[in-house]
Amino acid sequence: MTTSNSQTRFTALLDNSILSRLERLRLDPLRRLTVHSRGEHLTGKGGNSTEFSDYRDYVPGDDVKNVDWNIFARLNRPYVKLFRHEEEMHVVLLIDASSSMLFEKKLELAKQLAAACGLMGLMNNERVSVYACHHAGTQPEILPPCSGQVSRRRLFQFIESIQGGGDSPLEAAVDSVLRRHRGRGIVILLSDFLTFGDLNPALNSLFRSGLEIHGVQILSEQELRPDLSGDIRLLDSETGETLDISGAAELQSLYSDHLNWQEENLTAACQKRSGRFIRVSSNLPIETILFDNWRRKGWLR
Amino acid sequence: MSWSWPGFVQPSSAWLALLFAPLILLYFLKLKRPLHQIPSLALWRQVMNDQRVNSPFQRFKRNLLLLLQCLILGCLVLAAMQPYWASGPARARYLPIMIDCSASMAALDKEGGVSRLDVVKSDVREIINNLLADQVVSLIVVNSSGRRLTDFTNNKKLLLSALEHLTVSDVPSRLDDGLRLTQALSRTFPIERALFLTDGNTPGSVDLELPFQIAMQLVPPGGANLGITELNARRSGDRWEVFVRIEAANVGGGTAQVEFHQDQELLGTEQVVLDGGEAQRLVFRAPADKSSYIDVRLIPSGFDSLASDNTAFLELPALRPLRVYVDRDLAAFRKALQQLKSVLILPESADAKPDPILGYDLVISSAADDTVPQAPVALYVGQVPPDVQALVKVDTAFVKIVDWQRNSPLLQHVQLAEVQMSENPVSQANVQDRDYENRGYEILAHAAKGPLILNKDRDGKQSFWMLFHPDRSTLPYRVAFPILTSNLVQVAMQKAGLSEIQGQATGALPSRFAEPRSSYTIVGPTGMRQDLTSSDEGLLTGISAPLVGRYDIQKGLTLTAKTGASLLNAGESGLKVVDAIQFREVTVKANEDKVESDQPLWRHFAIAGLLVLALEWWYFQRRPGGW
Repeated sequence: MTTSNSQTRFTALLDNSILSRLERLRLDPLRRLTVHSRGEHLTGKGGNSTEFSDYRDYVPGDDVKNVDWNIFARLNRPYVKLFRHEEEMHVVLLIDASSSMLFEKKLELAKQLAAACGLMGLMNNERVSVYACHHAGTQPEILPPCSGQVSRRRLFQFIESIQGGGDSPLEAAVDSVLRRHRGRGIVILLSDFLTFGDLNPALNSLFRSGLEIHGVQILSEQELRPDLSGDIRLLDSETGETLDISGAAELQSLYSDHLNWQEENLTAACQKRSGRFIRVSSNLPIETILFDNWRRKGWLR
Repeated sequence: MSWSWPGFVQPSSAWLALLFAPLILLYFLKLKRPLHQIPSLALWRQVMNDQRVNSPFQRFKRNLLLLLQCLILGCLVLAAMQPYWASGPARARYLPIMIDCSASMAALDKEGGVSRLDVVKSDVREIINNLLADQVVSLIVVNSSGRRLTDFTNNKKLLLSALEHLTVSDVPSRLDDGLRLTQALSRTFPIERALFLTDGNTPGSVDLELPFQIAMQLVPPGGANLGITELNARRSGDRWEVFVRIEAANVGGGTAQVEFHQDQELLGTEQVVLDGGEAQRLVFRAPADKSSYIDVRLIPSGFDSLASDNTAFLELPALRPLRVYVDRDLAAFRKALQQLKSVLILPESADAKPDPILGYDLVISSAADDTVPQAPVALYVGQVPPDVQALVKVDTAFVKIVDWQRNSPLLQHVQLAEVQMSENPVSQANVQDRDYENRGYEILAHAAKGPLILNKDRDGKQSFWMLFHPDRSTLPYRVAFPILTSNLVQVAMQKAGLSEIQGQATGALPSRFAEPRSSYTIVGPTGMRQDLTSSDEGLLTGISAPLVGRYDIQKGLTLTAKTGASLLNAGESGLKVVDAIQFREVTVKANEDKVESDQPLWRHFAIAGLLVLALEWWYFQRRPGGW
């Protein structure tokens, strides 16, 4: 892999080579949840794209430029040519920037993934908006919906500027996002999903808002395979709460069971709402995640 | 065992429980757990909740280390307090253990089995091993006497060593000495209870008052047994008739062959078949022309639990006339002696000299000075023993005999009621009979105011003293006189071994004559040796014979005599078991159950503490993921 000099890189988040590969890819939602504004996602309805869809009888008021004159010359009857309509898809990137994401470059990876997804959205004429959640009860940092390649720098600058910290739980962050968000599309939740609350109401709200849920759980190696032993006091980085555990070594198998159980639950919750879920380790290189894991699982095409 | 509360030997060690305070304090001070920051507790809380549901003892588990350390300290504190299960309401601090080591304790229970003493040793070993720190034990051996093996001590090594060296003595059981020894100990130590371990083959009564309780523990008796219980010989003309009594134990008899040997030469054999408790008497005849050594061997055809009673020994002297020295002027005695067989009356003439080599078996004299020869039996007439002359004086007066000892060997069948004497012995004022006894004299006949006939049996010599002269009495004219003379001869013959010989039982052999002031070595069975010196009178006394077998008496390297010691005890051979011993005021019943000793529990607590320590080590040092 070639690495670009930092001065020549378009963004600090992703290498130029990755950017160039991403420009040829696009997000592949399971359902076509689009906004009516013009875009590159073809709908089943008539539209202004160049892709032919059907013919219909001319009725007064139709734009005569849509009349197929060749047919008219043969049949002496006017028919209007119909084309498939292309609509925009709204890509919402929700980055959990709370304190828990500061461990082992979890937030870095989340920002890289957000940049990658945002780039693919912009390069494919989607509307892209970004929300970074920090503290509970406060408004998230927002990148308003933008589209087009001209917005790339704005997107990258916004994502680069996201600082971690805070105690915002994911379900509260979703509520904050939905208060401001309009439009259908997909929402990519970049979080560790380590929350005390119930995520199901938040996921329901996203689903009702016309957003296809793509959950990306980013966990560090310490979270995936904790190496603890003896009597220790665990400190929650967000809430400051502590928990005393004795014989941590023997709890690891139980922890592993709970972790697997959580993954199954989140996968099921996303799939029930026509979405996807994937868990990644913060140790994995971004290229592996994007061009291997996600492509294999059909997240990108 | 009756249930009782446990006690503590060292309750003062309970102050060690104060260590719980610093332990708990240090635990919580040290319990500042290392802080480990993690992204979120969300998952860990679920894990802990799940674990609490699945593990009801989680609350304890949270402080498992403290719990284990408290357990270890608790075990150690309890061990230091030395708890024990008391065997009874009265716990003995000073415990004398009397061990029966008489001959019957060598009895086996079966062919190739263990002896009774081994069973007792095993029980005592257990008691010693369970001794508490404040308990002391003294081991006392009881056989025909009592012997203290150890002082009161709790030195287990010493006690066990003494116990291991304990062996059976082939002697009958007598409790008196052992109990008196324990009684003497009780004056020095606060003895509340004594333990007596035996096979039950003991005397049924002891004339003793016990100042302490005694627990009599029986071990099971031995198996079937045949044994020689009597061996004696009686003169029959110019031969000896040897009588052997064979008895079977109550638990069972059997068949055996009895071999009779004289000087290692087999003279005869007999076959005996006896059921339990039966006895049979056998007679063998042996020539008496020379002194000989008889041994009788019982050879059982089957199992015989006791080996020590299968041999018996007898020393037979050569038969000869009794040599009697009688003063020439004692015509009445000479006349009476002439009527008796096997009696040689000396001196035969007035000018005959005493024979210093052959000596005399009996001396009858009216003098008691150095001119009279010495003999094992002597009768002095008209003489007052020199050492009682201060107690009595002889007056001239007619006197009759008031009373006499009719069971005395000298006066058996002798009627002295009508005899009159012209000499009247009168005891000095305030002189009692015990004053004569204190000087070693037994009064055989009493006059109104003093003794008439005295008997002294000391240092192997027996002397009779008539304080009156028969010639100055009506005695020679009575029928009692020849009877008295005959009794005197019988006493002399028995003393000289010319009429009846008894087999010598184990214990201490009777005194025997040897060269004066000479050193002798007695070599017994199993090579045991004993060095003795004869007295000025040539008497060899104190020959110890604890084992059945032959005893050679050597002077230097020269064998001067040989004798033997035999068990010859019907009680020991019969393996009879008494179920109670009657003491002067109480009856002690035997108990076949093992006497429970106080059970120390500190070992259990110490081991429990060690196990908890090992558990703690394993639990906190094991590899993650478990083994």
